[in-house]
Amino acid sequence: MGVLLSASFVSESLERFIETSGFTALFADGGYKYLIMIAVAMFLLYLAIKHKFEPLLLLPIAFGMLLSNLPGAEMFHSDLFAGGHVHWDNFVGEAGLIDYLYLGVKLGIYPCLIFVGVGAMTDFGPLIANPKSFLLGAAAQLGIFLTFIGAIALGFTPAEAGSIGIIGGADGPTSIFITSKLAPDLLGPIAIAAYSYMALVPVIQPPIMKLLTTKKERMIKMSQLRQVSKTEKILFPLVITVIISLALPAATPLIGCLMLGNLMKECGVVERLSKTVQNELMNIVVIFLGISVGATATADSFLNARTLGILVLGVVAFAFGSASGVLLAKLMNLFAKEGKKINPLIGSAGVSAVPMAARVSQSVGQKDNPSNFLLMHAMGPNVAGVVGSAVAAGILLSILG
Amino acid sequence: MTLFVIDNALPWSQILLIALIGISIVFVVLLLLVYVMRLFGFVFTREHKANNAKVPVAISDEEVVAIVTALKLYKAALHDQESDMLTINRMTRMYSPWNSKIHGLTPCPERIRRK
Repeated sequence: MGVLLSASFVSESLERFIETSGFTALFADGGYKYLIMIAVAMFLLYLAIKHKFEPLLLLPIAFGMLLSNLPGAEMFHSDLFAGGHVHWDNFVGEAGLIDYLYLGVKLGIYPCLIFVGVGAMTDFGPLIANPKSFLLGAAAQLGIFLTFIGAIALGFTPAEAGSIGIIGGADGPTSIFITSKLAPDLLGPIAIAAYSYMALVPVIQPPIMKLLTTKKERMIKMSQLRQVSKTEKILFPLVITVIISLALPAATPLIGCLMLGNLMKECGVVERLSKTVQNELMNIVVIFLGISVGATATADSFLNARTLGILVLGVVAFAFGSASGVLLAKLMNLFAKEGKKINPLIGSAGVSAVPMAARVSQSVGQKDNPSNFLLMHAMGPNVAGVVGSAVAAGILLSILG
Repeated sequence: MTLFVIDNALPWSQILLIALIGISIVFVVLLLLVYVMRLFGFVFTREHKANNAKVPVAISDEEVVAIVTALKLYKAALHDQESDMLTINRMTRMYSPWNSKIHGLTPCPERIRRK
């Protein structure tokens, strides 16, 4: 009798164990979705490790995706953030590690902290020396608003369309900041699209640049930029913060943090803080941001036609942004005197993938004229693009938030 | 602060208007910054030029030679600053190559046998 009891107890325990096992869920009804998501996560890890596609972000994002798609592990509870707000009443009882990390995204903390680091690593000198670059940075934001229209045509809501459009700004933290406010359900696909396309700048941009310019235009040499004094570099973040924050209060978190980091770098009296925000703080936040954003890409939110739509619209936004920068540079050349003309290739750097987009302008320019050095000229529109995309984000938040 | 009241079923005219207003605001704000930075540049380059103007431009060859010689003599007179402190560190390790018999004694030469 005792032997029979213990045998049934063992078999029941084993049955319960097998039922709760993730392997059972994988092969149960709908389990194929988990398998697909695990395969997607593995593919992104492959891109990050083997091909070095933005590995600093893609690797934690892909691993976060892997963790949240392991059935039974319950690493991320999307129901705690359902309806676009945090359900604090259940939070302490149910939340796990990734839920706590995700609060930084949900409350808009991580993108701002990353912007402090980005600001501390950015040299606005080329932009101060050539303020016209601001216009090229503005033109590159055209892709955001064109894609906004395209996304609505595909059936997305205005808030979702705004979040998708911002991919065209080629600015990962801004995309995450806007999406976490306007369309948190789309955070996973949008973050992955934004960072993937930023990594693909050298692939996406050159054909567009060559298509829209003649060889003669690509060979234009630009005059050397003037020297920028330290006082100008210190005053720049202060002036920009005050003007943009007064004009667009919704853009203050992003612009304020970007310029705080830049002031730390330029003032020269807080070397330790500057180094910390550039390295330790930035790295820690990137880990938290990557894991928690990746974890939002669950099978139910990722495997649908909308994700495919986001990926397509993202690349369209990016292409439009690059093209409009080049076209505005050509337009400006119509009114510029001889010797003051702009090489239109620097227009594409107006999308804010710093410094990749500027490097692409340099490399495409050097193919036609090896003695042409466009890098510093392209850095102007490139950093203007960071400011421009933060301004565009503020506008979208004001209108759609 | 919300500029418009938005619902999910917007007429196309309103969508296009939002996009147009959005890109226009981006251009207006950044154009404002262009002019502010130009003003910035105007003030600072003028100040820079004024400072440059104060410096006498023409220096005779003799003066250049005198400056260079003075700098050369000054640099030649410079020595590295040393701490003037000698410290004997106590070694806890008993073994050292300095007291090693293996390294101290000449090892026997190996005989190379000719085939």
